[in-house]
Amino acid sequence: MYMKINDLYFKYENSAVDNLKNINIEIDKGEIIGVLGESGCGKSTLLRIIAGLEIPYKGKIIINDKIIFNKKIFIEPEKRGIGMVFQDYALFPHMNIDKNITFGLKNFSRKEKREILDNMIELVGLKDHLGKYPYQLSGGQQQRVAVARALAPNPSILLLDEPFSNLDSHLKDQIRMDMKEILNKSKTTCIFVTHDKEDVLSLSSRIIIISDGVIKDDYSVEKMVDII
Amino acid sequence: MKQKNNIFLMLTSIIIAIMLIPLIDIIGELLSKPSENWEHIKEYLLLDYISDTILVTIPSMILALIIGVSLAWFISVYDFPFRNLLKWGLILPLAIPPYIGAYTYSGIVSYTGFIQTFLRNTLNIEANPKFFDIFSINGSVFIFTIFLYPYIYMIVRSYISNNSASIIENARLLGEKGTGIFFRIFLPISRGAIVAGTSLVMLEILSDYGVVSYFGVQTFSSAIFSSWFNFSDTNSAVRLSGILLLVVFIIITFEKLLRGNKNFSQTNSKIRQIKRKQLGSKSSFFVYFFGLTVFFLGFILPVGQLIYWAFLSYKDVLNIDFLKLIFNSIFIAIVSTIFIVIASLIIGNSTRLSKKMTSKLYSKITLMGYSIPGAIISITVILFFVDLDNILNFFIKHIGIQNINFTFSLSIYMLIFGYFIRFLGVGYQAVESGYEKNGKKFYEASKILGKNDVKTFFLIDIPMLKNAIIASFALVFVDIIKELPLALILRPFNFNTLSTKVFNYANDEMIIEASIPSLFIIFVTIIVIIFLNNMGRKKKKNVYENK
Ligand SMILES: Nc1ncnc2c1ncn2[C@@H]1O[C@H](COP(=O)(O)OP(=O)(O)O)[C@@H](O)[C@H]1O
Ligand SMILES: [Mg+2]
Repeated sequence: MYMKINDLYFKYENSAVDNLKNINIEIDKGEIIGVLGESGCGKSTLLRIIAGLEIPYKGKIIINDKIIFNKKIFIEPEKRGIGMVFQDYALFPHMNIDKNITFGLKNFSRKEKREILDNMIELVGLKDHLGKYPYQLSGGQQQRVAVARALAPNPSILLLDEPFSNLDSHLKDQIRMDMKEILNKSKTTCIFVTHDKEDVLSLSSRIIIISDGVIKDDYSVEKMVDII
Repeated sequence: MKQKNNIFLMLTSIIIAIMLIPLIDIIGELLSKPSENWEHIKEYLLLDYISDTILVTIPSMILALIIGVSLAWFISVYDFPFRNLLKWGLILPLAIPPYIGAYTYSGIVSYTGFIQTFLRNTLNIEANPKFFDIFSINGSVFIFTIFLYPYIYMIVRSYISNNSASIIENARLLGEKGTGIFFRIFLPISRGAIVAGTSLVMLEILSDYGVVSYFGVQTFSSAIFSSWFNFSDTNSAVRLSGILLLVVFIIITFEKLLRGNKNFSQTNSKIRQIKRKQLGSKSSFFVYFFGLTVFFLGFILPVGQLIYWAFLSYKDVLNIDFLKLIFNSIFIAIVSTIFIVIASLIIGNSTRLSKKMTSKLYSKITLMGYSIPGAIISITVILFFVDLDNILNFFIKHIGIQNINFTFSLSIYMLIFGYFIRFLGVGYQAVESGYEKNGKKFYEASKILGKNDVKTFFLIDIPMLKNAIIASFALVFVDIIKELPLALILRPFNFNTLSTKVFNYANDEMIIEASIPSLFIIFVTIIVIIFLNNMGRKKKKNVYENK
């Protein structure tokens, strides 16, 4: 088992009820998991917990045999080695895309950084845009930069929050296919959350359905196609 | 988010502690036995202090309210010739600190001054000198009104133009008339902004020393100063401060209650202009006359007078000493401002990351200094520094070192410290609104990409806060250049700034000589106002917008 979430409970400080309850997920290396649920059911919260931005009051998270969270242990987000793409990308506006992409690289020589940058640019297909600033890019291009930035440090797991929600609908199909290709090529284990069934069908190998902070279902995509 | 050893929170706690420690002296003094003089003050003077303070503050507040709100209303919803000119012109009286206004007007309305001479020689009217007796409560009210109304005008105008375009337009479509819109819509919507601006005006008045001391009005601030300076009566000064502080807290609490929890910092980004209505020629004339009169009295006339005096006095005033004065003012303003901006960045960073009560409290304490009258802060700071010297010297003698004698209480550090407490709130507010605008997502993204808090602070927060930092710096800088009471009490012996020099000249009956340093202060303030305003406009098409 590559990643394991055990018996996880979470509540925001000002919330009356648990925002996530009894969450149990096991993920194999290389899997692409789609978490599907209506708006407000707790998807973003789940990703934020995995990344270390929110702290559950109960539960355990293990990645690659290393405990990153339990009753006693809390690994800070900067030490978790997880990649995350925010819903609105959160590209650093004062840095060009080269700087954005190499931002998370530590302990590399200049040359190595350059190589990684080239690889990432190649992977997400943004060769012509090197040196540009985020505001000079379209939404789809910004998303690729965000993905490249998250993938560059070679994260143990990649988290995507509603990766297609900010894009024009006529572009979505193409971008979904591109994203699938990127994920396959980089062989990264990935969890993405969405409220759109199409996303899950086109991208993931497995689906988890959340409703009101509780996991309702967990099955392979083949099965999902049958159900729908 | 959980923070284990948050260095920013630690630093913030230290800064807050440094701000609060001086209060110990004050509390000690309040609890100690009152001085004999205090009995005298209580018996014979306190009532005068209270009545003078009320008689100055309340009428000034009401008049500033009327002028500020009505002008904000005209400028926001109506169009008339030269509207833009008036729109900016009406802010300018803010560039003239009330004490400079007071000195200037005392000259303008004096028997040999511009107005009476004009009446006498040109119109052949021999005016009743009583009417022009500016050395009075009414004179103070005039000065405070005409130089402080822009606070209300600015806050209300920018709030209305940022927030109520559609509401006012809808009311118009529903057939509501001008006055109806004013009373039924404009006033209720902008209540919070009006309250915020008005309380600012009140706090400025309560904090003033230059105007009331010159006009011989006995408000609490001037009473605190005279107990301190003339009678060396620390205990009474502290007791008066305690009362004044109580009043300030009542005002602040009242303000909170009246305005709810809205924030009126002027950094709203999405702006849609109100479709302004063309005014008919008659009403245009009235608005124009009213606006121009205010602009004339609040800016043109006093500045004109100062410039005239500058021509009379520049030969005597412009010399090496004057350069030294400018240097002193700018030097101390820059040093204090740097401390303030750095502290603001640190406090802002720690309070935004934590939702805990303590950090809310920290934020409140940081903002507090600006509400506390300068006289009180200066006394607190002096008592603290004298104690500090005593303790340090006792300690150092104790360990056998004889030839060092700490005298922080005679040094420039005391003034810098006073400015720090007084204006940290101003700098912090600007920085905090920058943090708020950027939100937490960039910080979070940086953390996930492996950078700790400190690296994130330098790589992400500071560059992204550039505009807020500049604004913070500029605001604090001019406040310090203009500031009078703290500088008067806390400056080292023989150390003068532009503002203390203006004060000295004026109180030595040399108002003409005071004109050049006054103009310099006004000039710097105008530059900063223009600069900040341009920055605000540029922000609208800013590169940081992520779409
Ligand atoms: N910072 C917060 N404080 C309190 N409640 C929050 C906060 N963020 C989200 N919530 C609440 O938690 C629930 C789950 O939110 P979220 O995880 O963002 O949902 P989703 O991403 O599935 O739309 C919602 O009811 C939301 O209102
Ligand atoms: Mg969400």
